[in-house]
Amino acid sequence: MTPELIGLAGIILLLVLLTLGVPIGVTLALVGMAGLAVLITPEAAIIKGGVVSFEVISKYELGVLPLFLLMAHICFAAGASRDFFDVAAKFVGHRRGGLALASIGGCAGFGAISGSSLATVATISSVALPEMRKAGYHPGFASGALAAGGTLGSLIPPSGALIVFGIIAEQSIGKLFAAAIIPGLSQALFYMAAIALLCWWKPSLGPSATRVPWRQRLPSLRKIIDLLLLIIFVIGGLMVGWFTPTEAASVGVVGALLLWTLRGGISWKGLFEALRSTLRTTGMIYIVIIGAILFATFISTTGITDIMSSAVTDFHASPLIAILVMALVLLILGSFLDGLALMLLTTPIFLPIAVELGYSPIWFGIFLVRTMEIGFVHPPLGLNVYVIQAMAKDIPLATIFRGIIPFLVVDFLHLGLLIAVPALSLWLPSVTGQ
Amino acid sequence: MTIKDESSDLVIDDEGHVAHEAAPAGRIGETAYLVGAVGLLTATATDALAVAGRHTGFHLLGSIEIVQSAVVFIASAAMVAATVVGSHASVHILTERLSETRVRSLAKFAGLLSALLFGILAAGSIWVASELWSGFEQTELIGIPLKWLRMIWIAAALLIAFLFLRSALRPKP
Repeated sequence: MTPELIGLAGIILLLVLLTLGVPIGVTLALVGMAGLAVLITPEAAIIKGGVVSFEVISKYELGVLPLFLLMAHICFAAGASRDFFDVAAKFVGHRRGGLALASIGGCAGFGAISGSSLATVATISSVALPEMRKAGYHPGFASGALAAGGTLGSLIPPSGALIVFGIIAEQSIGKLFAAAIIPGLSQALFYMAAIALLCWWKPSLGPSATRVPWRQRLPSLRKIIDLLLLIIFVIGGLMVGWFTPTEAASVGVVGALLLWTLRGGISWKGLFEALRSTLRTTGMIYIVIIGAILFATFISTTGITDIMSSAVTDFHASPLIAILVMALVLLILGSFLDGLALMLLTTPIFLPIAVELGYSPIWFGIFLVRTMEIGFVHPPLGLNVYVIQAMAKDIPLATIFRGIIPFLVVDFLHLGLLIAVPALSLWLPSVTGQ
Repeated sequence: MTIKDESSDLVIDDEGHVAHEAAPAGRIGETAYLVGAVGLLTATATDALAVAGRHTGFHLLGSIEIVQSAVVFIASAAMVAATVVGSHASVHILTERLSETRVRSLAKFAGLLSALLFGILAAGSIWVASELWSGFEQTELIGIPLKWLRMIWIAAALLIAFLFLRSALRPKP
């Protein structure tokens, strides 16, 4: 059996074990080690497991993950959840489709804290959906905007998905965060443009709500100014080189604790719960990272990626075609695998090919997370849709999926733009010197 | 319907409330939480002091090495805690469509495979540690001995293997 066939058998075994419900990290690690045992020797595989596992758990740079998670959990505990939408609604709610625009702003703001798509959609929907329905918004349009807006949580830094990608692809997390800013903001702008166009074409989709006077709008900014300052300080400080990613996360934790104290709600119970939640998530992700690195080692030993990239070269196919094929495969796999599994399975295979074709690994990380995000809203998995449906049971799933279609079109346009203009991702890291 | 976000350990209930999953942790889990929490707070304080020091002219020697050691405690404790409360990410596309008996059998199978993996990782780590034992590995600036950090990881890996094995073999009601 050739190494390439062993690699293929490994990928099939991986998909089977994942489908049978074996934990993602365990599956990746077992398949990786079994593959190395067959390709090299069982002793080499066991030693590799020992070396990789200790390297991962003793890596200073990996401290960024639990510390950013802790910052997010402390911000949650400090009550920083719905304020972004409330404030945005006061500013633009009186415009046609204004509450939908505010929900996108709320998702972008909250996404910067949570780093999770599902948490973002659930939190913002719980406050924005009743408001939109009260204002007479079309249920499909309102829920479509929220489901799409929720995906911003995965891309806007500090993003959990980008941290995991940075670790398994051995790329600078600071660079990835800098690279995600323009794509994240332009994605929000694309959604806002779609909302404006839809409401211009069909005003009944999002009627205007009551105008809030300026004397109420400006003071409302006080509700989010502390959070905004914290996010700007942490991400900005990281980008201008005041601190490393791990230090930025630590400073963020201290800042979040300060913010919590100033808001008057700090409690031992809340702090312990934030620490516990951080540890549970961290433990799950560490196992996944150990598995992903072992699997990536196995895949690179098989030479599968070399064959695939030379096939692209031999066919004289344009690198663009190869990237489009990858996007298609990611979208298809995203129909039945969740984001984390999708990223960990495909990064070891696709990243070396993309690099061989001349694409930057940083750009690839943004492309991967952006494509992965689309999986949160497209059928049949579309978890964001199910979150909204769980909250508004009277809106049929079909109505929500129909409401998402315009935003899916926007998603594909935005993804196309990121592919066509890599500078959108790569310009900021080059300017900040990351 | 309750939806669980595998990548962030968040549970979203019918009302759309976001909460952290809180399963009972037992004595092992509580100890893991305590160790991990101390590690998290140590890493936070050390890095924050190092940043503050750098901008005020005070140099905290070996801050990276202290955080690196804290990360070993955080990661080891976190993996134990995640195993105790069963919050490992998995794909549910098939399991949520099967009968309870089949799901239980698959969970047992997954538990056995997981125990096997951590047993192998512990064996590999013991192998590497024994090779390096007489090498007196330590960090460069403040000389933290790495062999004890390796021991912590080995103990954690063995404990996780035991926890998975116990959950696979324990008869479920």
